[in-house]
Amino acid sequence: MNLDDALQTFVVESHELLQAMEEALLDIEHSADPVESINAIFRAAHTIKGSAGLFGLDGIVAFTHVMESVLDKVRDGKVSIDDDMVALLLSCGDHIKALLGGLSGGQEHIDPDMASIGAALIERLSVYLGETAGKTVVTAGHHPKVESAAEPKVESMGGGFVETDNWHISLHFGIDVLRNGMDPLSFIRYLCTLGEIVGISTSFEAIPPAAEMDPESCYLKFEINFFSDADKATIEGAFEFVQDDCIIHILPPRSRIDDYLHLIQELPVEDMRLGEMLVRCGTLTQRELEQILVIQGANASGQVQQQSPIGEIVVEAGIVHAPVVEAALEKQKSVKDVKAQESRLIRVDSEKLDNLINLVGELVIAGASASLLSHRSADVQLQEATSNISRLVEEIRDGALQLRMVQIGETFKRFNRVVRDVSRELGKDIELQISGAETELDKTVVDKIGDPLMHLVRNAMDHGIESTELRQSRGKPVKGTLRLNAYHDSGSIVIEVSDDGGGLSRERILKKAIDKGLVSPTQSLSDQEIYMLIFEAGFSTADKVSNLSGRGVGMDVVRRNIEALRGTCELESQEGQGSTVRIRLPLTLAIIDGFQIGVGSATYVVPLDMVKECLEMSGEDRQKSREHNYLNLRGEVLPFVRLREHFREKGQAGPRENVVVVQYGSQKAGLVVDELMGEFQAVIKPLGALFGNLKGISGSTILGTGEVALILDVPSLIQQAASSESKMALVQA
Amino acid sequence: MAKTIMIVDDSATLRQVVSIALRNAGYDVIEGCDGKDALAKLTGQKVHLVISDVNMPNMDGITFVTQLKKLPAYKFTPVIMLTTEAGEDKKASGQAAGAKAWVVKPFKPEQMLNAVSKLILP
Amino acid sequence: MDTRHRLKEYEMVNENASCHLRLEGELTIYTAMDMKQRLLEPLSTCRQVDVDLSQVSELDSAGLQLMILAKREATRLGKDIRFVAHSPSVVDVLELCGMMSYFGDPVVMAKGDKQ
Repeated sequence: MNLDDALQTFVVESHELLQAMEEALLDIEHSADPVESINAIFRAAHTIKGSAGLFGLDGIVAFTHVMESVLDKVRDGKVSIDDDMVALLLSCGDHIKALLGGLSGGQEHIDPDMASIGAALIERLSVYLGETAGKTVVTAGHHPKVESAAEPKVESMGGGFVETDNWHISLHFGIDVLRNGMDPLSFIRYLCTLGEIVGISTSFEAIPPAAEMDPESCYLKFEINFFSDADKATIEGAFEFVQDDCIIHILPPRSRIDDYLHLIQELPVEDMRLGEMLVRCGTLTQRELEQILVIQGANASGQVQQQSPIGEIVVEAGIVHAPVVEAALEKQKSVKDVKAQESRLIRVDSEKLDNLINLVGELVIAGASASLLSHRSADVQLQEATSNISRLVEEIRDGALQLRMVQIGETFKRFNRVVRDVSRELGKDIELQISGAETELDKTVVDKIGDPLMHLVRNAMDHGIESTELRQSRGKPVKGTLRLNAYHDSGSIVIEVSDDGGGLSRERILKKAIDKGLVSPTQSLSDQEIYMLIFEAGFSTADKVSNLSGRGVGMDVVRRNIEALRGTCELESQEGQGSTVRIRLPLTLAIIDGFQIGVGSATYVVPLDMVKECLEMSGEDRQKSREHNYLNLRGEVLPFVRLREHFREKGQAGPRENVVVVQYGSQKAGLVVDELMGEFQAVIKPLGALFGNLKGISGSTILGTGEVALILDVPSLIQQAASSESKMALVQA
Repeated sequence: MAKTIMIVDDSATLRQVVSIALRNAGYDVIEGCDGKDALAKLTGQKVHLVISDVNMPNMDGITFVTQLKKLPAYKFTPVIMLTTEAGEDKKASGQAAGAKAWVVKPFKPEQMLNAVSKLILP
Repeated sequence: MDTRHRLKEYEMVNENASCHLRLEGELTIYTAMDMKQRLLEPLSTCRQVDVDLSQVSELDSAGLQLMILAKREATRLGKDIRFVAHSPSVVDVLELCGMMSYFGDPVVMAKGDKQ
């Protein structure tokens, strides 16, 4: 049996369960429905244990077993879940992850370190289990004992032994076995797999007269003379599923005659008839039967006790009270259908998705080329056909990109644990608030945003939020708040990390920057520019270095990571009130709607989302712009960049110039171009290392004509326009 | 014609392993990821045995079996419930719902196969 | 294919003399309620009943009990019931329980037709 694939499933599934467990653990204090959280936690341990058992991963089974036992007590309300237990269970989750990590070739590899961690955790768990805990033995198999006739005893009490070398099995099925879906015949068939039925006698005396006979009740009894090398436990095991409902007697080979006497007396079948059956199936010889009957006659005065079938008692005792069932149904309705939604999801290898996106990219380019050619031809029908294709390609593109869009919530949720652990470590009381968890962004971006976010979150907790004492003295709530928020804004996704801590001290940053030689004392900087200094390499304002952050690395790494994703960072802060780091990222890294513009002979592409409007530059504007470096946009000052100059395009500007007004975040700027060429789907191709340092360019794309066009890096152009405008302003002032 | 077994468990791993074992032994297998899903997949086709977990989201095993036994086509279908040593208390309500066979988790695929063959041989 | 609950009405071959009943599909707990009635009904009108089991796809303990019940009922009423043309599933069960001789009906084994 090849279980490699299944093992893969096991590892993936276990990680998901552990994630769910962690979320539930972190959530449990605030949870409106702690019962559901406890169930989720229990289910994780329970399922992992069950699955691990399938592969014989005994280490994981043994560990999760203890967890499960503790959680079962929690579920029953025998143990209440407190902070310490949450912390312990979180560590247990980590340990299971380590155990999973140690799997290779379907085997467990537990190194001594891991083993001692596991032992320590089990010891701590055992405290909740009371004294017997820790010794809990895990049994993979479990054979409930079938009530059986007397075990062979050493002393012989009259009558000696029967001669047969075979087992005798007496099966008196309960009246409800058929209704319960159990067919007595199936157990007899199973017996055939364990040995050989030498003789069988079927009794049907119990079938009542036709009018009273219920065809769904079982009236059959079997006496079986059975030859087998199997041990008693195995033979008993055959009937484990009916043992509660039936009277089953299993007599080993060479049982004492006395045992048969007991058998005959105990069973509610007419004595004579059963005796005959035993003879008929070959278990007893006629002589042995006579011997038994003689003994029985001698005991005639002792009354034969009538045993009521065990099954009846069980069924009566097992009646579920109607209100319990109703309550359970009611609860199910109220539980949100999150799980059902999950079961509608399918797992796809991300490589397959990437290939699809690449293909769609090629399709977009090929489609653009086809539509270009059709427009050159005068064939109206062809043009119509290609425009239909273009529309469909666009839909396919959106659909394909949508496949890669994932909610940021999963990423955010991971920080619950981080915030919890770090705040404990720091001795601060910090609460994490998450909003915009449903905001979607490209999977590639999500994968890469985790580390920068981690830096920001830790930084905010370490340096941003003040110590409890300081907060008290400042009259702020003792509990600090950290917020993670996400939303879409003009073709970008914005992720905010905010805290209600001390905020950034403008003076301290400036002083430090001057000390470090990052700025000169004479430079005049806006607040925003000063705050942005903390993103410079080698900058740290922390007075003490903790092991979390404050080593002077971090913020610059954050910025570089974000920029690598074609994103930007902003920082907003109010001293004493807190600060917010705002990360702005493109929604996708693969294909964008672009706006094509021409400068001289070259074509550039601006992400369409960032284009606010296009204006024709009047002669007057052109004149003024030579002097001011800004335009008057309906009374608003609009800094601008002449792309012709920026990219050192040869030749003179044409007779007409246009302005493309672009916006990024709150900033706007004008790009002065020769020609507006309209919308275009651009498949982004990364720039080679050669162009890595080119200012104002973020990538390239291929046009329908096969020519390469550069994609403008709007944020950096806006930055440039703004700074040259302010410099100009300074000079003029 | 091969006998059909339905396995209902929220663990994809468990379903996968049990399915492989049962299919190798010659049974047909239908999978359900919880009680609700399983009921939706039972549309009157012959199912010779149902294996169901107790602890599942959406619809737990006990409710599932209770509902199953109300369907004429599955009124008498034998059910093996998967339980834990710790879950003995569930047995009473499960028994009442009509689940008489219990297999304790964790189990090896062979153990499940053995339990199944007590109720139906392939 | 769901062959459950399908049962052909018995045919009267000769009134008050012998009739022929052909059972189809499962003779199991699922069909037991129906089958009980169908098996016993001809006994009230016919002196001899032939029950054709060739189309019985499955027989379980519930079905076996019904066969026994019909046999016993026939004897009680002084009538005769014969099970004929046993399908492989039927033969299988009767052999398993050692019940072949109880019914005493001739069984024609169709070789290679066993499941």
